[in-house]
Amino acid sequence: MIEVVDLVKEYRAGDGAVVRAVDGVSFRVEPGEMVGLLGGNGAGKTTTMRILATLLRPTAGTARVAGRDVLADPIGVRRHLGYVSATTGVPDRLTPREVLGSFGRIHGMARERLATRVTELAGILDLGGFLDRPCGRLSSGQRQRVSLARALVHDPTVLVLDEPTSTLDVLGSRDLLDLLGTLRTDGRTILVSTHRLHEIERRCDRFLIIAGGRIRAEGTRDALAAGRQGGLEAAFFAAVAGEAAP
Amino acid sequence: MSVPEPVSGGRWQARLAIARRDLLEFVRDRRALFITLVMPMAMYPLLAMSSTLGVRAAIAELDKNRSVARLALALSGPDAEAFAARVAVAAERTADRAPGWPEHLTVRSVEADDAPQLLDSGGADAWIDLGPGVVRALDGADTVTLTPRFSTVRPPGRTVTEHVMAVMRGVADGARRARLANAGLPASLLEPIRVEFAGGEASAPGSGMRDILPTAASAVFVLLALLTATGAFYPAIDAIAGEKERGTIETLLIAPCDAIDVVAGKFLAVFTVTLATLLANAVSIALTATVLLRLLPADAAGSLPAPATLAAAGVTLLAYVGLAAVAAALCLTVTAASKSAKEAQNTLTPVVMLIAALAGSAILPGADAGRWVPAVPFAGHVAVAKAALATFTATATPPGGPAEGEPTAAGIGVGLIMSLVSSAVLTWLLLQLTANLVTDEEILFRGPEAATRGFARPPPRAIPSPGQGLAAAVAGLAALWYAQGLAPRDLLTGIVAQQAMAVLVPLAAIAWWQRVDARRTYALAWPAPSPPRTMLVLVGAALVGVGLFVTGAAALLAWGGDVSPELRQLAARLVDLVRAGPAWRAVAILAVMPAVCEELLFRGWVLAGLAGPSPSRRRALVAVVAQAALFAAFHLLPERMPQTFTVGLVLGWLTIATRSILPAVVAHAAHNATPVVLVAAASDAEFAAFQSGGAPSLPAWAVAAAIACLVAGTGLVAVAGWTETSRRTGP
Repeated sequence: MIEVVDLVKEYRAGDGAVVRAVDGVSFRVEPGEMVGLLGGNGAGKTTTMRILATLLRPTAGTARVAGRDVLADPIGVRRHLGYVSATTGVPDRLTPREVLGSFGRIHGMARERLATRVTELAGILDLGGFLDRPCGRLSSGQRQRVSLARALVHDPTVLVLDEPTSTLDVLGSRDLLDLLGTLRTDGRTILVSTHRLHEIERRCDRFLIIAGGRIRAEGTRDALAAGRQGGLEAAFFAAVAGEAAP
Repeated sequence: MSVPEPVSGGRWQARLAIARRDLLEFVRDRRALFITLVMPMAMYPLLAMSSTLGVRAAIAELDKNRSVARLALALSGPDAEAFAARVAVAAERTADRAPGWPEHLTVRSVEADDAPQLLDSGGADAWIDLGPGVVRALDGADTVTLTPRFSTVRPPGRTVTEHVMAVMRGVADGARRARLANAGLPASLLEPIRVEFAGGEASAPGSGMRDILPTAASAVFVLLALLTATGAFYPAIDAIAGEKERGTIETLLIAPCDAIDVVAGKFLAVFTVTLATLLANAVSIALTATVLLRLLPADAAGSLPAPATLAAAGVTLLAYVGLAAVAAALCLTVTAASKSAKEAQNTLTPVVMLIAALAGSAILPGADAGRWVPAVPFAGHVAVAKAALATFTATATPPGGPAEGEPTAAGIGVGLIMSLVSSAVLTWLLLQLTANLVTDEEILFRGPEAATRGFARPPPRAIPSPGQGLAAAVAGLAALWYAQGLAPRDLLTGIVAQQAMAVLVPLAAIAWWQRVDARRTYALAWPAPSPPRTMLVLVGAALVGVGLFVTGAAALLAWGGDVSPELRQLAARLVDLVRAGPAWRAVAILAVMPAVCEELLFRGWVLAGLAGPSPSRRRALVAVVAQAALFAAFHLLPERMPQTFTVGLVLGWLTIATRSILPAVVAHAAHNATPVVLVAAASDAEFAAFQSGGAPSLPAWAVAAAIACLVAGTGLVAVAGWTETSRRTGP
């Protein structure tokens, strides 16, 4: 489960001015639920997700992942979290098997369990054809699948995915989102952000629309799109523009 | 389906997994592998080959200067035979030979016409044409002038002239003895003291190698330090900056462990590669040295001290393990502050210079392993290795043990432990700093423009930041160093130039770069709420300044011990300056100008930066102490530092207490003006009497009066300058 209450993140810009990237954001994502975080560039999506991943410290408010506070118990959060962002890379000189092996060992997995898990993930994410090829020689879609496998190697209960489909083609995106749907039905908590509304509008249970660091609208696709021509996309533009729901 | 609980491992398991991952990545990078591990194996033989000729030439030159001593002397003229007999007599007195006497001496009589050709053909090294009556003059009481001549086509070396002089001194000595005997005086009249060294003959053939060895070994130790540190560069860049560039650092920072565990894992990997580099270099050096010794002349190689023992090699390797740890940690720290590999490479360049400077400083005389030097990174490691080689490879220990100051085995052990402990502490501190840097949000997620943000002109501030305060003092110190070399030698213009270069220019530059509120930064305010009280404060400050100088001088004379030649020379030049011109000029140059300039820098910019906008009592105290230490360092001469530190403390207190820079300026000016006025006011007679008195101590009444000035001045400042708050107010 993810719980975010009155989350604030400020940083100092190059000119010395204080910028509030996240401004009092609150939301919950329940186990077995997949929630889409929608927003334009600079809306606060990535900052919120980095706080959930314990990469950034919140200025104010609280954020809990799997019942652990990101400030009080960051290691506990990381044990239960799988995180992938658009900028997350894979080591060029290691093979996918070595990448998964090293992260499994970092998470303290026993040798046998790790070997089983790598085989399992290779099957789920279709890594078998390049499991022993250096990552530097893989396509961007293959690299993204390795990145996702890395995030899943320790069986996390919560997944935070920041634009995971941005480097993938249509087929790759579809496969990845199908996989996320499967993981959701396994009882995992999934928060996913993207620019491509059409990709996830039929896959997520709920949506959070964020702009200017604030949650502008929240609800299911049908609830957000109700009474609007253009469905979720229209609801998104209206929320970003500050219009109230009809 | 239920979600399985994630696993969790120990910290060491995570560290080792990260180290293993990084090592695996490193060994797949063939170029870095070659540069780090293979290149040293090829480099030392190349260096040795290119330097073998030079080493041989150096040995030959040294040996030639020391022991290859042949002289073929040609004599012409009517007294040539007789003079040759005198030379033969002198040669037989082996115990009394003058320094420089040739090992092999031949003397022959020649015709004067044949002598030049003989010299040019190499048949003789020197020729002396003896005029008539030379021998008679030697037996009498006259002085004979002899003119040795040399070949014009083969100019003589220094050794040939030394040999000729030694032979002539020997003949002259014989003549003196004969003259004394003729006068009925004993030969001992000429020799009040005879010195005979124990241990027999020195400087056997091949001793040149013994002279070269310490220098060559020191150079190799410095090279080994540099190359070992270089082994950390590529893996460190790859480990953090490279991970940032590839976007993989985030995946490690969300691992279930602390940042220090991630850094420790990376350190283990970098340290392992650095150790491998050290071993590769050590093996290469050992093999190269073995080959080099075989290539050297047999007599030179044979006279070397015993080959480096296992103990020396062991100490060297252990010391360099500490060096490898510090280098690995330092490189990680530097690269942790970089966003990309390119940025990290740029930042590591000055680190190379720093390591080279520190390691090279261990070669300097006095940088031995017996004092605190082993605690200094890089310099200490080299010093311990150098001392170990000197101690363990010494051919024999002199009777009574090593001389004072010479390293001993126990001393080497203490130095090694000190070096290792210092390395461990420094490594731990650097890793802690790296853990902070690697999780620094600004560094981790900043944009490409952030790399140059530190060089962009920042927005205006009320007062400088602590870092900017410190930077101004450091810039002033560096500028002062250069100013000493660049300023005119004339003291009058030199002082003006030094103040401008070391204080005004750095201060103006940093003040232009970081715009501040000048009124608050430089405490440009009246020290008291009314003009009469302000006057009282300033009078009090002046009394404090006078009291500080006199008590400081009394303390220096009483406890300061020997005054260094530099301070004595400076004092003499200042006295000359004061006595040579009008008093007002000396007061302006030596008192008023430094007071204004230095107060603006230290009690203005530096103190404001270190104290911050609304300092607590503790912060204010720390700031005052820190700026006083910097102020003391600014005066360079060690003997003056206790006094200048105390003066800095008092001036800092004056500024903090009155929230004004004026009392500090007045006290500083009064402090500097006191000796100027005393010297200028003294009559010539008084001054001559003072100068001839050596290092006098001040009379008790003067010290008592100075203490009274201090107490009264402090009281005046405290009472007249007292306001509701004795600290600087916030923004």
